[in-house]
Amino acid sequence: MKDVLTKLAKAQTGFVELRYHRRTSNSFVATKGRVDVANSSITEGVGVRALVDGAWGFAATADTTDAAITRAIADAQSMAKALAKARGKRDVKMARGRLATMDLTLDGYQELRDMPIEGKLGHVVDLERRLAASSGKVHTARCRYNELIEEKAIATSDGASAAVRFAQPEISLSAIAESGGERASGSKGAGVNGGWACLFRHPALEGMVDETAKIAVDLLDAKYPEGGQKTVILAPSVVGLLCHEAVGHTVEADFVKSGSVAQGMIGQRVASDLVTMCDSGKETIAGYAVGNLPFDDEGVETENTVIINNGMLASYLHNRESAAEFGVEPTGNARAWLFNDEPLIRMRNTYLMPGTSNLADMIMGVEDGYLVDGAGGGQADSNGEFMFGTGYVYRIKNGKKMELLREATLSGIAFDVLKTVDAVSKEFRWDLGTGYCGKGQAAKVDAGGPYVRCRISVGGRQ
Amino acid sequence: MSANLDKMSEGLDQLAERALGMAKELGADAAKVGTSLSFQRRLVVENKQFTLANSLESRSIGILVHKDKKKGSASLNSIDEKAVRQAVQDALALARYSVPDPDLTLATKDVATPAKQLAFQYDEPLAAMGLEELQGIMAETLVRLTADKRVALDRYEASVDVSWHGMRNSLGVKQAERQSITSWSFFGMARDGDEVTGFDYDGNFSFGKTGLAAKAMHDADVFTKKILGALKPRKAPSYKGPILMTPRAVQELLFGMVLYHAGGRQVMDAKSRWNDAVGKEVVSKLLTLKDNPHDPRLSGATAFDGDGVPTRPTTILDKGVLALHLHDCYSAKRCKTKTTGHSGGPFALELAAGTSTLTDLAKSRTELLVVDRFSGNSDPVKGDFSGVAKSSRLYVDGKDAGAVTETMIAGNFFELAQAVLGVSKEQENVSGSCLAPWILVDGISVTGNAD
Repeated sequence: MKDVLTKLAKAQTGFVELRYHRRTSNSFVATKGRVDVANSSITEGVGVRALVDGAWGFAATADTTDAAITRAIADAQSMAKALAKARGKRDVKMARGRLATMDLTLDGYQELRDMPIEGKLGHVVDLERRLAASSGKVHTARCRYNELIEEKAIATSDGASAAVRFAQPEISLSAIAESGGERASGSKGAGVNGGWACLFRHPALEGMVDETAKIAVDLLDAKYPEGGQKTVILAPSVVGLLCHEAVGHTVEADFVKSGSVAQGMIGQRVASDLVTMCDSGKETIAGYAVGNLPFDDEGVETENTVIINNGMLASYLHNRESAAEFGVEPTGNARAWLFNDEPLIRMRNTYLMPGTSNLADMIMGVEDGYLVDGAGGGQADSNGEFMFGTGYVYRIKNGKKMELLREATLSGIAFDVLKTVDAVSKEFRWDLGTGYCGKGQAAKVDAGGPYVRCRISVGGRQ
Repeated sequence: MSANLDKMSEGLDQLAERALGMAKELGADAAKVGTSLSFQRRLVVENKQFTLANSLESRSIGILVHKDKKKGSASLNSIDEKAVRQAVQDALALARYSVPDPDLTLATKDVATPAKQLAFQYDEPLAAMGLEELQGIMAETLVRLTADKRVALDRYEASVDVSWHGMRNSLGVKQAERQSITSWSFFGMARDGDEVTGFDYDGNFSFGKTGLAAKAMHDADVFTKKILGALKPRKAPSYKGPILMTPRAVQELLFGMVLYHAGGRQVMDAKSRWNDAVGKEVVSKLLTLKDNPHDPRLSGATAFDGDGVPTRPTTILDKGVLALHLHDCYSAKRCKTKTTGHSGGPFALELAAGTSTLTDLAKSRTELLVVDRFSGNSDPVKGDFSGVAKSSRLYVDGKDAGAVTETMIAGNFFELAQAVLGVSKEQENVSGSCLAPWILVDGISVTGNAD
């Protein structure tokens, strides 16, 4: 498709961007000894953006013939013209950046495509059975597997011409434990950009069946943490959520333009100097992060974007248009969920760089606080206020890790919390690979980091 | 768009019939085919300027097969006959490697009688509305939204969608309906100098063209007032006691939990706390919850459910008493009962208004947190919830004393649902998704940041 799109894009007089996307999604859910979902879905088509007199027009077609794509180009141009006519011309510039010219197949794509479906479904059924049998207290076990097998190609009239094939499998296990009328739940999961073998090498899946059951069973007797401002050590999954929710969204350039708290803050101190935070489409720390993409959905090569450098705000996340407006290079953050979605500024793999401390020493330095793990859902805000849930908490008393406590919600003002960071561990893990970010469209993202010690508000019972 | 819709839906319906034939030919014992078609015109405003216009045509076909008491499904967005045949084969391949389930079932003609198109769902003038007219309404609304320079409007979108969806199964059930709908959404915050508020959003819809512009203007005024009201927030106290939940908070905190435990799928797996509670009081007597899929005020209105069973108004909670469990055909068979037409539902919820005035409810505590949006986590199994009270305000002696920031709430759904102190006479439509009053509930932990 790359060559077809390139030929059509070059034939246009104004700016057009042609994006082919074929997604095969296989989903399986097993619970209570049955298969609730065994579904295969294919979505394929070409999305077209056209820029006319400073107005964008977008059209899409599920028909991938030259004639249909040509009609979609005309539709997009016609929509852009109509909008420009209605509201007047506007000067829109597009930063060029490094426009991709490549054709790649990433690791795991062929493996996952070639693997028989019965092997995948059978493993999901088996994991659910093993989890259900792992403890007499497990009332309900559930295993969910989903894989996205992607083929993408892009061509722009100003020179991008690229194609990539990749796979993003993910798996999660959850258990509800019951005893004496009490119920509690536990879960574990991981997702990667890679194949089947890569997925099951993910460190978060180590002992996944027993660990999932143990969390659910142990939480049956657990108490709640006390609410208030606390010294906490955040596990990598929670650090990932902090990076994504608390900072990442506020530095997306479209949100910055609208007036987010990060507006006008470049070069200013927003965190302790132990904090270096990045968003990367080409992570090299562990090699399996879900958001690894060689180029974005505008055809710009991705990079490792340093958002906070030793505590100072260093960069926003850009598409081509916002980069031109801010006078910087695009960072490769334009992403579209499906062929019929227009690209928006989105994160990829957002993380805190590892430091020099080790976890044991960090725990020893806490007189009264918590170790927080098991990232749940989260949300950011324009004023930097964030919230995210965590699955479980360990009390830390006089430098020792103590009993397991129930889930907690953490909240704060991002830049205030990051200024309290006083220790960052050497250990690192990507741990948000089952996550989807929502911003009108979904996006598959990853996040992670080391263990981080800071002061944060913990929601609890009065 | 409507002429295309009629012509193309007919073709898609015929393809669905052929897909059922393919399933039978390839060895399926039973099959269901769902189809959908939509045309959309959409405009986007970013940072107070029109930036994008789009034109989309979408089609999809989904096939579910049963084979030897096992199931598999496949879907695609192509209407190519060969691709559809391949999808049927894929569904059968998945079924082959699945696990037998003796309770697999499809709706029969005696329960899935032909559903009548809801007349209010399709309006020819709206279906024919062009981009220029939509842009005109949005431009007027935009003036209202941005009149105050402190409004930082991040995104404003509006679209006109004309759609059709149908389903058929191998037992002879056949349903279809069409819809015209325009919907709009606002997303933004207020910024005054260095002060930035939290973001907020709102949206609404209309099935018809009449009154559309006035409705959008009204929503714009309400949204603007709300985000400007979030400036200069104050610190909230920490306490355990009552909070007043706005209709939006009621939807976010209460509805999900009620539906989890009233849901047939949870009941059949013994995950619901209300497995044996039909006819029993499960929440406060002050709460009556209905699902009315034929209510034109709510965007989820539909004539039939995902199984093809006609929908009907249903009472879920009647003065605190659980009236029924919400079943689709599968959960009904597992529970040895009848479907309530809730495959993919409920569709249009209404929590009945009460007898208290909002003014009286606001006076229930000297310092009362009024929660408008809940951003947090809830555990339906245990009933615990914990999160941030967003877009929320503090009332002092019954009067609005301003927005609050960094305020967290925590509690338990089962305790909250029993501790309802009052329900307002006033009721609001929450973005077209449900109708709910304000509710005063006790026993909530509020963690503020006031000294």
